[in-house]
Amino acid sequence: MYWLEQSQVEMLLSKLAENYELFGPRRDEVSGEVIFDRLEDLHQLDLSAPIPYNPPKYILFPHYEEILKYRYNRKTKEVAIERINHLKPKALVGLRACDLNGLMCLDRFFLGQEFVDEIYLEHRKKLFLVSNTCVRPFPQCFCVCTDSGPAAREGFDLDLTLAGERYLVEVGSKKGQKMVEELGLKEAGPEAAGWKKKVVDESVSSFDAFAVENKAWISRATNRLTTGFIKPEVWEFIGNQCFECGACSFVCPTCSCFNVEDVNRLDGTTDRVRTWDSCSFEGYTKMAGDHNPRKPVEDRRNKRFFCKLSYSQSKKYLRPGCVGCGRCARVCPGDIGLPNVVTYIRREITGE
Amino acid sequence: MESSLIPIVTVPEVATVVEIREEIDEVKTFYFNFDRQEIEQAFKIKSGQFIMCTVFGAGEFAVSLPFSPENDRKHISVRRVGKVTAALHELQPGDKIGIRGPFGNGFPFEEIKGKNVIYVAGGIGLIPLRSSIVHVLQHRPEFGRVILVYGARSSRDLMYKESIRVWQATENFETYFTIDRPEPGWNGEVGFVNQLVAKINLPAENTVAFVCGPPVMFNSVIKELKLKGIKEEHIYSTLERHMKCGIGKCQHCAIGRTLVCVDGPVYTYKQIKTLGEQI
Repeated sequence: MYWLEQSQVEMLLSKLAENYELFGPRRDEVSGEVIFDRLEDLHQLDLSAPIPYNPPKYILFPHYEEILKYRYNRKTKEVAIERINHLKPKALVGLRACDLNGLMCLDRFFLGQEFVDEIYLEHRKKLFLVSNTCVRPFPQCFCVCTDSGPAAREGFDLDLTLAGERYLVEVGSKKGQKMVEELGLKEAGPEAAGWKKKVVDESVSSFDAFAVENKAWISRATNRLTTGFIKPEVWEFIGNQCFECGACSFVCPTCSCFNVEDVNRLDGTTDRVRTWDSCSFEGYTKMAGDHNPRKPVEDRRNKRFFCKLSYSQSKKYLRPGCVGCGRCARVCPGDIGLPNVVTYIRREITGE
Repeated sequence: MESSLIPIVTVPEVATVVEIREEIDEVKTFYFNFDRQEIEQAFKIKSGQFIMCTVFGAGEFAVSLPFSPENDRKHISVRRVGKVTAALHELQPGDKIGIRGPFGNGFPFEEIKGKNVIYVAGGIGLIPLRSSIVHVLQHRPEFGRVILVYGARSSRDLMYKESIRVWQATENFETYFTIDRPEPGWNGEVGFVNQLVAKINLPAENTVAFVCGPPVMFNSVIKELKLKGIKEEHIYSTLERHMKCGIGKCQHCAIGRTLVCVDGPVYTYKQIKTLGEQI
């Protein structure tokens, strides 16, 4: 491990900025919200800021993305199809462990199944990832219950842990190693590992203050969901509170459903765009001719929780589909974020 | 993208519509060839698979493949139902379409050699079964009894009349037809296809059944087939879902824990029962 002084953070950023577009948590001046955003200026990065309200998934999997452009001339029967590539290397600095785990879920889902998603792959190819240990959890967090924090274990190029006044730097890749060497960071002694462990342990123990309710119940809920033993009434109860707004899907670091549409432009070309979609929307499964195999909202609603918690979905992500960031609970107008859903499942089990 | 990469995953391959036939009311068959010779050569399918078809300027839709993997003209048969299929129906011979695929698991073929094969279709449910029927008939001596039970609303709604006449000329291909209501000039059976299945003598031992049709027909036919003694794991069907990618990523076609595009579209009835969702 190495030491990175607070004063050296800027050096790291400048070095990264030579080859990468920089993204990281910054405070929005108007709303005061923390957002994971493009950093126009190195000073915008705020490593001490609370968890950003949006996960970084949009950088690899944009809300709205043109994937193909074509032009078809019906008179001459000429077709020209052009693949749109977005090959700008990007550095994501200050990723929280939950969000890094979210990216790894997306990697395994988009790149590790029967087919490789070539569009995601283009985005993923040239990334530099710098994670940031949560030395203190935030009120919405429950990553300890989903095994995705407060410190990252893998997937990063560099991992930062604030220990006292400076950062302990753990290297996770050759790219990361090259970077610390180029920066000439001071090597930390053998006691560094113990120091990091102490910081992480303290962070974990402080979860007791707010993640009390559902701790240890997520695995029970997973068991119930996988075996299909949750009564339809529970889903009905949850479904009745759903506004079908899709916000949970959009702030979820691992939700990756998308829609594809061909949009005709005035210049006679057509863009094939892919956009985020959500299984909570009624039209999600509607086929041409209006046949819709899923109708009631609870029938659609439980699909999302199935993705987050079931074992069969975990096999695709090689970990639970929920990374415990708590964003769904924060944005849901119907108060059925994942922690509450686990509570309802728990109440069914215990008969509270 | 590599020019030899099959299936075609991301960028559609351009194909020319060479002939269009009116099959039945609102259903047309489009014969096509790929513009690039190397794709034309490399494009191989299994019966039961599907493709994603782009109608330029309108969008893309999933469609099952009705042609045999061997020595059959490439075509799709499509009913006008939504925006994109309506645009497809406007095309003329010489127009271009885009093709991605083929995708999906397909019907079993090698595994069912030596068995009796029963096809039960309702309406345009014959489209996805056609590929397997032609393939099996091309290898007729390697199978036991081969039977088609086909029902439609009226005689005008029976698909592939021309193909059926050709198949009937094949030795040992048993066909049974029914229409929902009596019609002048119709001498065949009248009633739903499940009623016809109940009536005829079907083998149960060493038999597989392929069923495709609207959900109501599907459930009633399965019931009859089971009464005949055909095992749930020997009844196959192909499912349809709203699809956007065809490669297991967009998740629109999720049924239970499976995705129709990569785990299906062909399922046994035994599997369908465990999906826990409407089909």
